[in-house]
Parts: sequence; C-alpha cells; structure tokens
Amino acid sequence: MLHYLARVVQIQHTLSPKSPLRDASVFGALLKKHESMLRRLSDLHQSRIQQSASLKFYSDTKSFLNRFAESRNSIENELDRCSRASDPESRDRLKSDLEKVSAAIADLEKLVAESSYFLPAYEVRSSLDSISQLKESLDVVNAKLLPRKRFAFKNKVVNRDSNNVLGSVVNAVSESGIGVASNEVLVEKPSFRVCDSPGFRNKEGEVLVERFDGEVNGDFTLSDLRSCEVRLIGRFRALFIHRLRDCKVFVGPVLGSILIEEVEGCLFMLASHQIRIHHARESDLYLRVRSRPIIEDSNGVRFAPYRLCYEGIERDLKDSGLDEETGNWENVDDFRWLRAVQSPNWSVLPEEERIPMVNV
Amino acid sequence: MGLLSIIRKIKRKEKEMRILMVGLDNSGKTTIVLRINGEDTSVISPTLGFNIKTINYQKYTLNIWDVGGQRTIRSYWRNYFEQTDGLVWVVDSSDVRRLDDCKMELHNILKEERLSGASLLILANKQDIHGALTAEEIAKVLNLDAMDKTRHWKITGCSAYTGEGLLEGFDWLVQDIAARIYVLD
Ligand SMILES: Nc1nc2c(ncn2[C@@H]2O[C@H](COP(=O)(O)OP(=O)(O)O)[C@@H](O)[C@H]2O)c(=O)[nH]1
Ligand SMILES: [Mg+2]
Repeated sequence: MLHYLARVVQIQHTLSPKSPLRDASVFGALLKKHESMLRRLSDLHQSRIQQSASLKFYSDTKSFLNRFAESRNSIENELDRCSRASDPESRDRLKSDLEKVSAAIADLEKLVAESSYFLPAYEVRSSLDSISQLKESLDVVNAKLLPRKRFAFKNKVVNRDSNNVLGSVVNAVSESGIGVASNEVLVEKPSFRVCDSPGFRNKEGEVLVERFDGEVNGDFTLSDLRSCEVRLIGRFRALFIHRLRDCKVFVGPVLGSILIEEVEGCLFMLASHQIRIHHARESDLYLRVRSRPIIEDSNGVRFAPYRLCYEGIERDLKDSGLDEETGNWENVDDFRWLRAVQSPNWSVLPEEERIPMVNV
Repeated sequence: MGLLSIIRKIKRKEKEMRILMVGLDNSGKTTIVLRINGEDTSVISPTLGFNIKTINYQKYTLNIWDVGGQRTIRSYWRNYFEQTDGLVWVVDSSDVRRLDDCKMELHNILKEERLSGASLLILANKQDIHGALTAEEIAKVLNLDAMDKTRHWKITGCSAYTGEGLLEGFDWLVQDIAARIYVLD
C-alpha cells in the first residue's frame, strides 16, 4: 500500500507541482481518479481473460501442441505413403490424395492462426515453420509424382468469347463477403479529387510508345485500352494496368511492382521485382520476375519467359537487378487455389505457341 | 484488495504489444516489417496467409502480424482482431486508382468493435515514388478528419524503400500504446 500511495504522490506532483500535499480535496480527487484508472485497467484485463476463455479454440497450449503434432504426423505419413505409391491403382488416386493433404495443411495453418492469441510467440513461430516444411515436402512429392504437363493441357476449357471480365469482378467481390452491405460511410463521393499519374488511358486501336530516360522513380498507368499495342522503353518504378482488352504490352524493367487488374485477351511482356495479377482471363504473360508471381480470380492465363529486346535493355535489366533469369516466371501462386496442387487457372505456355524474341 | 495483484499482472505482460499490419495488397506491408527488423528486402513474394514477426523495439516486444491483403483472405482479418493493441494501415500513395477501395476497407475495419481501443497509425507509403500523393493529400482522400473523436490516430508519410518516416510512425504508435496500457510504469 505504501508503494501505491507513493505513486499517487508522484502523479500529483507531475500534474500540479505547485499544489500542496496537504490540500485534501486535490488529493482526494486524485485518489479517485487513480482508483478509476485502476478499475479500468482491471476491467481491461478481465475482459482480455474472458475473451480468450470464450474462444472456442483450444485455449491451452498443451492441447494445441498435441493436436498440432497429431495432424502433422498424419500429414507426414500420408505424404510418405503417396511418395512410395507404385501400383497403378493407387497412382490413379494420387491427385485426390494430394489435394486432401494440401487441404489438411491449410486446416493446420488455420488452427495456428486461430490459436495464436494464447500461444507463446515461440510456439507460433515453430508451428509456422513446421507448416512451411510440410508445404515444401508436398511441393516435392507433387513435382515428382504429378508433373505439371499432365494438367497443362486440360486448361483450355474456358470459352474465349465470353467476355465478361467485369461480371466476374462483381461476383468475386460479393463472394468475399466484405464490402457490399455495410458501407454506409463510403457511399458518399470522395470529397477530394486527385490528378492522375502519367499513363495511357481510354484509347482504341493505337500504337502507344513511351520512353523513360533520366527519371527512374516514376510510376506509370495503362488503363481502359482496347486493341492497342503499348511499348514502354527504359526503366521506371511501378506499373499499374487496369482494364485492357486485346492489347499487346511490351515493357522494360520495372524496379518495384506491377499490378494487373481486369484484362482479357492480352499479351504482356514484363520484367519486374513483383507481379500481381487479378481478374485476368485468356492472356499470355512473358515474365522475368524476382519473386513469385501471383494470380487471383483469374483463369486461362499462360506463362512463358521474358523475351524483349531494345537497344540498351541489357544494361537496363542489370541496373534494375533483373539481369538474372530466376525461373520464377513459372512459379506462379494462385491465391484462389489450395497451394501446392497445380491450379487449373494457369498453365505454362507450350514452347511451340510462344512468340519469338520481340524487338521494339 | 486485489489492486496490487492487478498491477503485478499487468506488469508481467507489460513489455508486449500486438500490432496488426493491414491495407490493400501491394501497399508495402511486408516490406515495412522487414525494413523495421533490418532484414533483406530485395526479394519479397506477395504474402499468402500471414507472417508473424517478433521485434524488439525500444524496451518493448512487438508481435507484428502481417496479413496478406488479397481479397481471398481479407475475410480472415477478423481472426486477428482479438487483443490488437495497434493497427497499422498502409497505403500505396502512388496507387491513386484504388484509393476509394482503400478508404472503404479502412472504414470497414474501423467499425470493428474489437478494434475500437486500438491506436491507429496510417502510413502513406512509397513517398519515394515521383508523383505519389503526400500524407496530407492521403488524409483528405481518406477523410480522416471525420474519424471517431475517441480514436488515437496519426498519419505519416514514409518509404519502406528508403526507410524515411518509418521510425517516426512506429515511435508514435509504441508511445501511444504504452501510455494507454502501461500507465503504471
Ligand atoms: N518504390 C517503393 N516501392 C515499395 C515501397 N514499399 C514497398 N514497395 C514495393 O511494393 C511492392 C509490394 O510490397 P509488399 O511489401 O509485398 O506489399 P504488401 O502486399 O502490402 O505486403 C514490392 O514490389 C515492394 O518492393 C516503397 O516505399 N517505395
Ligand atoms: Mg505482404
């Protein structure tokens, strides 16, 4: 209690250094204030305890660890069994078996996410490490038993003429369950208009060329283009691509990232540190990329290595850290698909269908 | 009475803070976390699921949750809300087209009851990009002045690329959380 009083005195001191300690009313008020603060803290603490107790999850580290180990073992056993499958009958079932393994890994990841609020940081990290090891093993088994080629040709089921890029966007948004009903705040129009960044917008049937010479720190936008050919020569920082149809787009090295949304029937030749593709349909992408490209809500997209040529491109690639072929053009992650099992939404563009080196 | 034991309990957890990084994909969340932690930022793949980093910052241990921003997983954000002390909302200040989207998602997340006590740091990232909007412009577009008056918030311009502005932002966040949660220190 002494400790407690000392603190009150201290607080009083900092709040009003001039008021005498004898002043009972000030002291009383401070005591009250301090008490209510402690009450608030206690409430906060209680509500935290209650919150975690009310979690339906295994609010006890030990039972989490047991459960985690159990699932991990069964996944490992299953992977092991799959990798040794030799008779033709079990080989036929491999695809669905591996998909189940993939789903089990996803469940395990979710368990960690849900339990992480009561788990010690160390357990969270080591569980996440185990999960990425499981994913890697699954990748290895997949690559060994189900070479990508087996699926690459099944992908052409989508009809090329259904041109409903926007329709699929709307669906995807409401599917995600966010942002549709509950947006009263946002219905109002933006109170502030900003001017657009450099780019090509709203064109049809044109050849559009831009050369970047000195300035490498700018961004560039391509939006609402139809049947155009675009050439962006030189290096720059970031590229946004939005609503393109039946276009051919050839681009020099981009130092940061490229974001592609709502494109259809296009050919892209791109080099960048990061490439994200959303809502793309029936398009071919020739990529050089440092990290793994991702697709989301896309289908019929095919990938091949970058083959672009213009005077000085070697140096531009080198200066952008993109001179090395990482092979990542085919390490595509489909965020709409369980990882590690080949997604039906993309494929490797067969050699014989690839265009030759392009000179712009 | 239980007051002292409460003080002790609070003191025991006192050094830990949970911070949630959110924002549209491609805004730079993962890069910022790696930069603060002094890690290599030269190759970053888009985040699938989430990463957790434990970072020692001043005298605190920050548990930073970096959640993938892809639409597919945005609905999982809720799983991370419990007991979040600080929210970092990252904006790509050069991505003018998606600012409406950004505004919408931000206001949605701020309506979450479970986040109502969390301090909010808005990082107007990618200031190194020529033509990026300034923090003041971002604040106007996102209509931050209309925010609930009880919320503690701050917006800072920054670049995960150069590192500029990051410390300023995180210093504020950590101090604000500390002042709120660990009054007794
Ligand atoms: N120019 C520039 N690029 C950045 C900055 N921060 C992130 N980036 C790039 O933006 C892309 C997306 O970053 P990432 O951290 O993966 O975004 P996240 O999806 O929010 O985690 C990457 O290519 C980064 O290199 C920045 O401050 N300036
Ligand atoms: Mg990320």
